[in-house]
Amino acid sequence: MSCPSSQSGEQIEPLRYLSRVEAEAIEKELLEDYRFGRQQLIEIWGHASAMAVSKVFPLPSLPRKQPTVLVVCGPDQNGAIGLVCARHLRVFEYEPTIFYPKRSLNSLYRDFTTQCEKMDIPFLSYLPTEVQLINDAYNLVIDAILGADAEPGEVKEPYASILATLKQIRIPIISLDVPSGWDVETGNSEGISPDVLVSLAAPKQCATRFLGRHHLLAGRFLPYDVQKKYELNLPEYPGTDCVVSL
Amino acid sequence: RLLGARRGGAERGWMSGLRALLGLGLLVSSGSRLVAAAGGGRCPARRGPPAAAAWGRSASAMQSPGRSGVKFLSQEEAQAIDQELFTEYKFSVDQLMELAGLSCATAIAKAYPPSSFPNSPPTVLIVCGPGNNGGDGLVCARHLKMFGYEPTVHYPKRPGKALFEGLTTQCQKMDIPFLSEFPSEATLIDELYGLVVDAIFGFSFKGAVREPFGSILRTLEQVTVPIASIDIPSGWDVEKGNPDSIQPDMLISLTAPKKAAQHFAGRYHFLGGRFVPMALQQKYSLHLPPYPKTDCVLQLP
Repeated sequence: MSCPSSQSGEQIEPLRYLSRVEAEAIEKELLEDYRFGRQQLIEIWGHASAMAVSKVFPLPSLPRKQPTVLVVCGPDQNGAIGLVCARHLRVFEYEPTIFYPKRSLNSLYRDFTTQCEKMDIPFLSYLPTEVQLINDAYNLVIDAILGADAEPGEVKEPYASILATLKQIRIPIISLDVPSGWDVETGNSEGISPDVLVSLAAPKQCATRFLGRHHLLAGRFLPYDVQKKYELNLPEYPGTDCVVSL
Repeated sequence: RLLGARRGGAERGWMSGLRALLGLGLLVSSGSRLVAAAGGGRCPARRGPPAAAAWGRSASAMQSPGRSGVKFLSQEEAQAIDQELFTEYKFSVDQLMELAGLSCATAIAKAYPPSSFPNSPPTVLIVCGPGNNGGDGLVCARHLKMFGYEPTVHYPKRPGKALFEGLTTQCQKMDIPFLSEFPSEATLIDELYGLVVDAIFGFSFKGAVREPFGSILRTLEQVTVPIASIDIPSGWDVEKGNPDSIQPDMLISLTAPKKAAQHFAGRYHFLGGRFVPMALQQKYSLHLPPYPKTDCVLQLP
């Protein structure tokens, strides 16, 4: 069945948390050996992220009258995943708004932006620094700024200021793969504290420092041989779900 | 629509209509459709329970039982919508094929859960054609593997494009076997597999069936295990159907059903490919019923 090391939902072997090197190696193997396409992977991750968001915050549970969600997208792959996530949330009848201050010049990612625009998803031209405005306008914020491939060290502008704003908001933050501003292995005690972490494919080491309410695994596509090779010991996904709570 | 009622109150009218229908006993759950008597590709002996009705947020409660009110597309309309998704909306074939294949695997898992198979693990034969329908089949095979099925692929004519080569490699590296020859006897297929997925021809199909697919389809007409066709039962005219070709047990219509689906007489008709933007749905008056919650498939009456 789907995970040789777990039976009827019980973990026998502990779940593996990946180092930066391992996370990069897995992605490289998927792209070069398994010939997954990058757009394909981003679509899989973006869709699974949207499923995770809806699992934790189903439409009827949102406090505001309108199911508004703010999606903050960074310049690289994590941002592109955020764009795809926003698009699927729109299909699920949420009302996402995107803040994408530095658009990727990568032609692969440009189309993701067009798809969102053509689906009438608004793009903010600036992020209010007035935290109350964000608290009032949105039910949740999705942090798709920086991922496991982020350069270690200080976060560059405009993201440092954006993260400083996000640190103060009171509505839930959902981080995709890695909380932005955290080192992928050691985390960041000064950084944002998301409520929800959606680990893509397999969790990274910094997830051990995650203190929020929900940690989910999303993206049910990793070949069994990859799972075995890196001893991921992923839990069993229920039915045909692509998301599982950890 | 349920969401409208929840939010605005303007649609409250439909809820009392719904109660009235319930009271009159006009709302029925989706029992299994009667399987047509003659022909191949059906399994008269294995009539399992119907797939769980995907009523979810009262999708079909608003429509009369029988026909969903959904539009059935002509071949031209299907091609136009496809074109618009790629040229106007800038979707890539990679993206949509991944979502389409996932829908197919999900629908199959709903209609034919592993427990319904005589063998364990549940074995599935996926026959992939030379175009995009075949690509959908490759993606479907991979997701079926993740869902715990044991897929085997037959892919006799492969386009030399990176997309299809990539999808093939993904399957092969996931230990999904590729048959070099199609089983010559229908009885062999019946023995080895609990289900056949027809991913040969899709909505672009026109004209005569070229080999080796003619022979393959003739063999499939004789199998008794269920056949699930992706988008269009292969060998059928996309609008008029074909009573002399395979008669599948399941049809997974992608984005919207085509006119051929009006001739479909199998047990399970699912809609998949939940990515058509609302503006496009409205432009072509698709009248798609709402998908339940975040499901990527919807069972049609």
